This record gives sequence, structure tokens and C-alpha cells, in this order.
Amino acid sequence: MAEVITVSALNQYVKTLLDANDILFDLALRGEIANFVQNARSGHCYFSLRDASASVKAVMFRSDARRLGFRPEEGMKVVVRCRATLYERDGAFQIYVNEMFPDGIGAAQLAFEQLKAKLEQEGLFAVEHKKPLPTYPKCIGVVSSKTGAALQDIRNVIGRRWPAAKLLLCPVNVQGFEAAQQVADAIGKLDKSGRVDEIIVARGGGSREDLWVFNAEVIARAAYRCKVPLISAIGHEIDFTILDFVADRRAPTPSAAAELAVPDRAELLRALSQLEQGCQSAMQRRLDAASGRLMMAEQQLSYDMTRRKLTGGQAELAAVQKELEAAAQSCIQKRQAQLRHAAALADSLSPYRVLGRGYAMVYDSKGRLCSADVLATGDKLTLRGAAHTAECTVTSVEELNESTQKL
Amino acid sequence: MRAPKSFEDGMARLETILSQMQSEETTLSESVKLYAEAASLMEYCHAALEKASLQMEEIDVSRSEKAGPETEE
Repeated sequence: MAEVITVSALNQYVKTLLDANDILFDLALRGEIANFVQNARSGHCYFSLRDASASVKAVMFRSDARRLGFRPEEGMKVVVRCRATLYERDGAFQIYVNEMFPDGIGAAQLAFEQLKAKLEQEGLFAVEHKKPLPTYPKCIGVVSSKTGAALQDIRNVIGRRWPAAKLLLCPVNVQGFEAAQQVADAIGKLDKSGRVDEIIVARGGGSREDLWVFNAEVIARAAYRCKVPLISAIGHEIDFTILDFVADRRAPTPSAAAELAVPDRAELLRALSQLEQGCQSAMQRRLDAASGRLMMAEQQLSYDMTRRKLTGGQAELAAVQKELEAAAQSCIQKRQAQLRHAAALADSLSPYRVLGRGYAMVYDSKGRLCSADVLATGDKLTLRGAAHTAECTVTSVEELNESTQKL
Repeated sequence: MRAPKSFEDGMARLETILSQMQSEETTLSESVKLYAEAASLMEYCHAALEKASLQMEEIDVSRSEKAGPETEE
């Protein structure tokens, strides 16, 4: 009989044997997942891998589980990279899983197509349900890894195009199987916060497996429930995820999503300056038109004024002319009347008219009218009456007395 | 003259003003008033576009109900 040893020693011994084996230290194993649980506190995952006839206990530590690209489900066929050894405390033979992949992309693809068909049937991809993006968002919700390039790209693009906007980041793990639930919760959280005008769900590039999380049904349903418009920006141009179909807009990259999300400041500045020019030229045209009309009016007015002055002058001239003629006429008539009067007066005073009453005029020999007072005896003289003349000789000259004169 | 509520509002008002100014029915004095309004709107819109730098805030997905009044729903 061999020497008695302790349980601890046995387990330690067996573990040493197993650990010394190179094949067991790093092997790839195919199997089906069973009894999958994750310890809520530690984050470590415990499950079994089995095939038709056997099973083995499996552990995946939190640090490895974080990198999972999908959510392990009961019965899922997977391939794992692991180390097989003994857990000394329980004497349990188990594997420690470093990485886990769905077994064959074919199976995963089939699941993808099935889910896609189901959701499409339910109307989650319906065009009528797609909401238009806001033109000028004030706040943009971002569901992304806090440390990833995706967030940085979004910040750069929005910072350049529309820095007036605010980003509200709800950081999530985009890897590991908790990622799906986290992303879904983050969408709901941002939507219900009432603070965001739209949401970008972004993940930088990655392998097909890395992006697989965005095919999760829980994310699709959260995106469909989301009241604000949602833009998906998952991975590369060629890869479509279920989320891409549900999202209101799908962008090929995070940068492209940011461009969809906000207007371009430079473009708006151009539009603004066009409006500015439009207003200015409209104002200018209006001013030009008004001053043109003013000028026309001014010209018209001054033309009218000249015309009016001219016709006014003509009338005045005619009036003055008439007045002048009348004045001349009356002046002539007045003078004619005066003349007639004077002529009558002159006629009445004519010495020849006196001759008619019996008087005679005395001319001397030389034909000069002379006074009787200067006559001397012997003078020859001519007497002129009204109708006849008489040649006379003065026989005597006598001075007249007062008395005789009275007779 | 009313102050715009937002950049969007300001741009929309500017577009309306422009079409009014281009209309034959608008009188010169109305145009002058509109032009004055347009000038202040443009100042506002320029200021909105020149606004300095992008701001970012964070909310935590797990700290759901305690986060603040905005998570009442």
C-alpha cells in the first residue's frame, strides 16, 4: 500500500501533471454552451461545454469576457481557445477560456438572417417609421465607447461643422456580451432624458465578430422604441448590422454620422451671406427705383413749370398789348376832342367872324394890319370887310372925345 | 421687431424678409424697416454660427433612477 497523502496534495499533484502538458496549455475546443451564468459581482462567467456524449466545466474571467463579440446563449455552438487544468479546491477538471467565437460564420449568419426576417416582418425597418433628422440640433446624444476613435471622430466633425451643439455622451462597452444590453439601455436612457434632439450610436471599425453585438435584438428594439431620431454608425461601409436597418439613418462611419447629424457651419455662412446680399441688393434696387421715379417727377415738374410760365407770359403779354392799344386809342380820342374844342374856340375868336358883324380891318399900303391911331392925313390904306375890300385915302385924323365915344 | 428664438428661427425670418423686400408691393419705407430688421437678424445668426467650442457632457447608463429629475419617466 502506498503512502497516505492529503486531498490537497493529490489535487496539487494532478494539477502539476496537467499543467506540464503543452497540448492542454493552449488548445482550441469545439462544443455547445450549457448552463451559462455570469457572476454579477465578479463578472466572471461559468458554463459547460458539451458535445453529444461529454461535457466539461468552463470558466471565462471578466477580463476575457469583456472582449466577447456576442452574447453566449444556451445551446450555442462555439469554438474556444482555452487551457485545461484542475481547480484544486474542488478537484474539478475544467477549462479556462481566453477567447470564444461562434462556431462557423454560417451559423451566425443564419441567426442574423432569421432575426432580420423576424424584425422586418414586425415592421421594425418600416420606412414610414423612420423619423427625419433635425436640421439644427441643440444637443446630440452619443452612445459609444468613451475611449474609442469613434467618439473622437464625432467630436472632431461636430466641433468643426456645428460647435453650437452639445454632446451628451452615454458611455458603453462596445465589446463583450454585456455590450448589447448596455447599448440598448443607453439608447433608452438618452431618449428618456428629454435632453437630446437625436442620437448617434457609433462604433469604430472592427472585425465582423466585433461588430456582431449590434445585431442584438435588444438593441434593435431599443432603437425602434426611441422617440428621437437615431443614426447608426457601426464599423465599415460594407457591413450592415440589424441596428443599421432599424435606425432612422445609417452612416457608414462615425464621421459620416456626425456629418448627417449637424448642419455645416461653412455652408450656412454662405447661405447667410447670400441672404445678406439678397437683402442688400433688394434694398438697393428699391432705392434706385425710388430715386429714379423722383428724378422723373422732378424733370416732369420743371418742364411743366416752364410751360406754365411761358403760357402765363403769353397771356400777360396779350393783355398788356390790349391795354396798350386801348390806352393809345383813348389818348387819341381825347386829343381829337381837345382839338375840336380848340378849333371851335379859335373859330369863335377869329377876326374874320367879327368882320361879319360889320367891322373892318385896316391895312397900310404895305399890307400890314395897322391901328387907326397911327394914321395920318393922306395915307393910303385898304379896308377889309367880310366880303369886300376898299382902297381909301385918309382925309383927316381926329382924336375921339369921351363923350363922342359914348354915343 | 422680435428677437429670434433660435438660429433656425432667425434664418427662416430672414428668408421671409428677403422675399418681402423683393416683392413689388412693398413700399420704400417698409423696405427700410425690413432691412433694419434683417441687419439685426444677420448679426444674431452670425453670432450663433461663430459660437466658440463644442461642449460635451456625460450621463451614466447604469445610474438610472437617481441621476436627476430628467429621468422621471
